[in-house]
Amino acid sequence: MTIRPDRRTEPTQLRPFSSSQNLLNRCDGSAQFQFDKTAVLVSITGPTEVKFRDEKLDRASLEVIVRPLTGLSSTKERVLENVMRSTFANVILTGLHPRTSIQIVAQVMKDDGCVSVGSAAINATTMALLDAGIPMNALVGSVTCMVGKEDGEILMDPTMEELSRARSIHTFAFDSASRTSVMMDENGGKGTSGGVVLYSESTGDFTEDEWWLYKA
Amino acid sequence: MPSTAAQIMQNVVLPGDPIPSHTGDDTTIKLGPGLTQDQDVITSMKAGVLNHLEGSNRWWVESNQQRVSLQQPIHLQGNRLFPFEKWVEFAGGAELGDGFGQTIVFISHPHQYIPATGESVIGIVCGRLTEGFKVDIGAAQQALLPYLAFEGVTKKSRPNFLVGALVYARLSLANKDMEPELECVNPATGKADGFGELKGGFVFKCSLGLSRRLMDENTPILRFLAEQQIPFEITIGRNGRVWITSGSAKTTIMLANTLQNSEYLNERECREMVRKLMTMQ
Repeated sequence: MTIRPDRRTEPTQLRPFSSSQNLLNRCDGSAQFQFDKTAVLVSITGPTEVKFRDEKLDRASLEVIVRPLTGLSSTKERVLENVMRSTFANVILTGLHPRTSIQIVAQVMKDDGCVSVGSAAINATTMALLDAGIPMNALVGSVTCMVGKEDGEILMDPTMEELSRARSIHTFAFDSASRTSVMMDENGGKGTSGGVVLYSESTGDFTEDEWWLYKA
Repeated sequence: MPSTAAQIMQNVVLPGDPIPSHTGDDTTIKLGPGLTQDQDVITSMKAGVLNHLEGSNRWWVESNQQRVSLQQPIHLQGNRLFPFEKWVEFAGGAELGDGFGQTIVFISHPHQYIPATGESVIGIVCGRLTEGFKVDIGAAQQALLPYLAFEGVTKKSRPNFLVGALVYARLSLANKDMEPELECVNPATGKADGFGELKGGFVFKCSLGLSRRLMDENTPILRFLAEQQIPFEITIGRNGRVWITSGSAKTTIMLANTLQNSEYLNERECREMVRKLMTMQ
């Protein structure tokens, strides 16, 4: 196996990741998740009072704010906000707190340029929701992977250097609850997936068969 | 009761984890907050430790609000379990099957108070409406305290609280769909029984777990403070607010700090802290 630039030996090996909870004391829950040099700090406030225009009669309304490492937020942050809101709307049991608001604020603390900020933000949000005690029906785990240009090799959690040789980059978020789903890819092979895919974003050149492979 | 780290690790549950049914076929299981039923499977909604009391078929779950490191044995303050009867009124419940009662209770939400019927809370009056006071109880919505929900009140003699007044009241109505309602009278006796305005004193915020533990007067920290023979009066709201008053401001502040600091200390450490504070008096 070729050794990857940061000395990882397996293509499926992730960079060292870590998380810590309960870092902020003015909000209901907080957590920081770090993939080596990319770190995102998320704070959760809720269920609290909701602005009248956002009030939903039968569920809590989720508000997500993403702040980049430097500068003002732009469309990139808006995209991530939408992604996180729709991912977590499936997982948080909002029906238990109607007419309230659950606010998720994500601040990028470290960014080494890799695309794993989205993954780190989703993982940090899961940890922060656990810290806040917001009812959920599953945990959400997210990771980024890429396919190399020349060799078509799938690499998980790529570094900047590996990304320069990428043909396509994929981010997936899975839920933890469904344990028995089994995925079949087009070639008839079987892979057991840990859960249902809650979110998937892919950029680059790839075929449908390959996507099923990456998902497994 | 699990007393070693190894036993506790086995019972840690995360959202989405199915709870194994430890009973025979015809038993009733009461689901407390944090547990939900999806057809035949009970799953956990929050992260915490599933627990049960030996010989009594009662199950409950402690959540991460104690934030005790799992490298040391978890002990509930003073190695005393919370009196189970105090939890039976928890909001949310579902029964499946019939027969011998079992209760699995999940405590969570260290910070944000979720109102539940029957709980006593400390509120701050925010405004007056035509039918009652608007009271902030630290929940997502402000609660309503009707003018007539007091002992011995008539249409002519309504209570007159100013905005900012402290009130100790009981939640007469609390569910997820409606605005919570309070009353300052014990429904069983029709008397005030301690509810009403709290004059003077000092209110501080604490976590929900600590306020729950303080409601038991035999909690170590309250016992130690009582042993020191400092006269003080304390009122504990389930919404994470504690009101305390004593002879002087200095004593009040000292007591407030003591109680807040006692959250993560075990019995021995509480005793030590109280002893040190007394020598500094």
